[in-house]
Amino acid sequence: MYKRILYIFTAILLCCCMIQTTAAQERQQVGGRDAGMGDDTSDTLVFTPQWTAQAQFAGYYVAEVKGFFREAGVKVKIEHPTATQSAMSRLRNNQCQATTLQLCQAMEIVDNGIPLVNILQTSMNNAMVIVSARGKDPLTQKGDKVGIWSVGFGQLAICMSNKEHLDYQWVRFAQNTNLFVAGALDATLAMSYNEFYQLVQAGIVLTEKNVYRFREHGYNVQEDGVYMPRDYYENHRDQAKKFAQACRKGWEWAVQHPDETLDIVMEYVERNRIATNRVMQRLMLLEVLRLQVDRESKKREFRLRPDMVRLASRLMVENQMLSREVKYEELVSDR
Amino acid sequence: MKKIIEYIRRKLSVRVSLWVVFFAAIIFHVALGFLFIQAREAVCKEAFNHATQILDKTSLRIEGILNRVEVASNMTKWLVERHPDKADSMFVYSQGMLQNNPDFYNCSIAFEPYYFKDKGRYFSAYTKYVGDSIRTIQGGSDNYQYFYMDWYLMPSLLGHPCWTEPYFDYDVATNTNEMVTSYCQAIKDKQGKMIGVINTSLSITWLSQTISAIKPYPHSYSIMVGRGGTFFVHPDTAKITRQTIFTQTLEHPDTAIIALGHAMQHGEEGMKQMKMGQEDCYVFYKPLGNSGCSMAIVCPESDIFSGFDHLRRIVISIVAFGLLLMLYTFIRIITRELTPLQHLAEEAEVIASGKLDAELPDLQRIDEIGQLSHSFGNMQQSLVKYIEELKDTTAQKASIESDLRIANSIQMGMLPDKFPTKAERDDVQLYASLTPAKEVGGDLFDFYFRDEKLFFCIGDVSGKGVPASLFMAVTRSAFRTVSAHESQPDRIVTVMNQTIADMNKNHMFVTLFVGVLDLPTGRLHYSNAGHDAPLLVGPDVSELPCDANIPIGFRPKWKYSLQEVQIFTGTTILLFTDGLSEAMDATKAQFQMKRVNEVASQALSQGKQEPKQLIEQMTDAVRQFVGDAEQSDDLTMMAIQYINNKQQ
Repeated sequence: MYKRILYIFTAILLCCCMIQTTAAQERQQVGGRDAGMGDDTSDTLVFTPQWTAQAQFAGYYVAEVKGFFREAGVKVKIEHPTATQSAMSRLRNNQCQATTLQLCQAMEIVDNGIPLVNILQTSMNNAMVIVSARGKDPLTQKGDKVGIWSVGFGQLAICMSNKEHLDYQWVRFAQNTNLFVAGALDATLAMSYNEFYQLVQAGIVLTEKNVYRFREHGYNVQEDGVYMPRDYYENHRDQAKKFAQACRKGWEWAVQHPDETLDIVMEYVERNRIATNRVMQRLMLLEVLRLQVDRESKKREFRLRPDMVRLASRLMVENQMLSREVKYEELVSDR
Repeated sequence: MKKIIEYIRRKLSVRVSLWVVFFAAIIFHVALGFLFIQAREAVCKEAFNHATQILDKTSLRIEGILNRVEVASNMTKWLVERHPDKADSMFVYSQGMLQNNPDFYNCSIAFEPYYFKDKGRYFSAYTKYVGDSIRTIQGGSDNYQYFYMDWYLMPSLLGHPCWTEPYFDYDVATNTNEMVTSYCQAIKDKQGKMIGVINTSLSITWLSQTISAIKPYPHSYSIMVGRGGTFFVHPDTAKITRQTIFTQTLEHPDTAIIALGHAMQHGEEGMKQMKMGQEDCYVFYKPLGNSGCSMAIVCPESDIFSGFDHLRRIVISIVAFGLLLMLYTFIRIITRELTPLQHLAEEAEVIASGKLDAELPDLQRIDEIGQLSHSFGNMQQSLVKYIEELKDTTAQKASIESDLRIANSIQMGMLPDKFPTKAERDDVQLYASLTPAKEVGGDLFDFYFRDEKLFFCIGDVSGKGVPASLFMAVTRSAFRTVSAHESQPDRIVTVMNQTIADMNKNHMFVTLFVGVLDLPTGRLHYSNAGHDAPLLVGPDVSELPCDANIPIGFRPKWKYSLQEVQIFTGTTILLFTDGLSEAMDATKAQFQMKRVNEVASQALSQGKQEPKQLIEQMTDAVRQFVGDAEQSDDLTMMAIQYINNKQQ
């Protein structure tokens, strides 16, 4: 009788172990692809892109899926922001150690007293555009209602509006292009890789006349880059360097393999239940990759340009967005 | 193919049947084409009506519910605007809204930042059903800044209450999604300034399920799109909220789908025909009340017209089979009707081969074929009779021809056929020929020697054939009889004229030239009764002068003149009838005297003026001129060459 109980207990124990092992494997497959990371998260770098899963972050997904992080000897976990927790919120709460930010955003944060380090600059061009309704030229829409993201991103547009004396009525919105499509706005800001294509997908006819591209009018300020809190960076220089190299490798691989990269992006999109589609992600990926090519050198330089930092700083100081000039040296790793 | 065409050309029954079937096919084609077009239009109209009814019904149902939301929202707004300063009342109003309308999804009464000083930046009275109980909370926070949301911004920006684009409402507590649309309207204070927004949401899951379930045809489906063209209902769930109606056109431009999308975005109602995927479809669309959404029913053309196509295939099959049957039947009937003609043709072949008594088929018919058979029988009888008569006539003709041959022989026998050779006579050479146009002719010539004189004559009786030959025989006999007693040509002619004229009851006549050549002297006495003047060939060619006298046979008492001329040695007298000068070729052109003189001159220059040579050369010239033309008149020539040894 005791033997029988012992056998049953042993069998139950074995089953529990197997179930536990399977569940751990599944968690590992879904949550993170860095094999060998185990449960030890003390040296794991959590990277939070500033938006939900999309082709804007393709290079990082590639680095994770293709094992570039592992090859570089760095443990990385990609965690997207949620509806209740933005990327910056996660950074401030030390829930992640790296995030992507636009240059202007990063400068505002630095100006607010949170030192950041740009460990990898991916964008070499500005992607922001103003799209006007009813085929108007945005520069003629003085005083009109123009949509702007409630989370930031629109610094250059405000600078331009002030400089051109357009006095736009800025309408901050949290969601997507619905306000503009519903006719509630006269114009809206959009990213050439994201909202621009959303508007096209919504049947809006966009021409050269009703689209104002900031990079064509003296506002070509770099955007996306990977940033870390400076104190973390100072204590994890080697990890940060390896992480940046792996990210850069991911982007370079994406350039060479756009179709496979798109497959990887869609895998992340599906996993995060993002309401988008393959066509939109393809267009986004191609535009993001185009924006990574420097207009002067025609190369993917993956570096912050001092002249663009100076331009952004000057514009934002002039428009009281910064209390002081944020210098290039404050943002880069080697001061 | 060539064999088939050849077969059709040979078969009248096939040819006629094909023509009939061909025209019948054209008539069927036109008639059925018209019928099919009309029927198709009717089916299309019926489908349109059917789809319109469904769309109207759905739209009406939705409008009813939307109106209820709008009315409830207006009532709450009225309450809120009466007491805008009592923050806690907002929870009551919000809760009351859902209590009174349990089918609503949630209700928010949200205010501008810091509107209630004691409530801080955010104040939104948010009520929602959780299970069967109602939960009311304060909805705003740093993580949910409602005043940046579409539902909050739209009514103030648009300046009127409105429905938002459908969206998935995510409930953190239950980790569930619900597709909702919100009716939102601005709350204003007494100065008309906006102080907040009332947002009443309605789950449209039931609506999407209702629309998805609409299937007027087996393979039809329904879609619903929002203002931005986003799919909120689609059979492919992967497209719902992720794609718009324009998405696929970004990579594969399709003007029809773009036009449909714009029409639905603009709240239009109608029907469009287009290709959806690989299939031709009819899309019926209509806006759903004031929600900003539009629904469409996509009906594959094959579904709408499946019954019609089935019927059309059956009708076409029946017509095709009927035409083939018609072709077969016509061929059989026409072949059967034409069989007597075939037999008739076979019998005609037998008759044509000479068997005139072949028995014709006995057709008991009164139609055209019967008439033809009857006529053919009559023709056969007539032919038999005609052939019999022809046999008799041929026998008679053969007898007459035999008689004529005998008469010809007799006639030729009357004429001298032996001419003196040089050995027999060295003072004169003579040769003559007579070629009648028919078996017997009316020309004559004659000569003989008496008392060292050559008596000769040449004549031409009027007319041809047997009468002329008999008259010629009489004339020749008269010449022989009279010249036996008379030596002067004028006397010979005069007596012959008296004799012939007395017995000439048929008023025939004969032109006659009579000459008497004194051989020792070469003196020629002659009398010409209306005959062509002879030629003297040598030393040159000249015409013998002749008085104008009438032919014999007319006037018995006519006195004919006597003429004389000296014939020199070697000279040849060429006598001929008008058959020479009036010989005609195929074009009816005459030989004429000019050619006679030319041939005579040619013979003289070649030294061929001897009688036989001269006549043969003249005969060859005439034959060459006439060619294959039928001889029109008797041709008679006689040549006499005088040779006086003393003169030599």
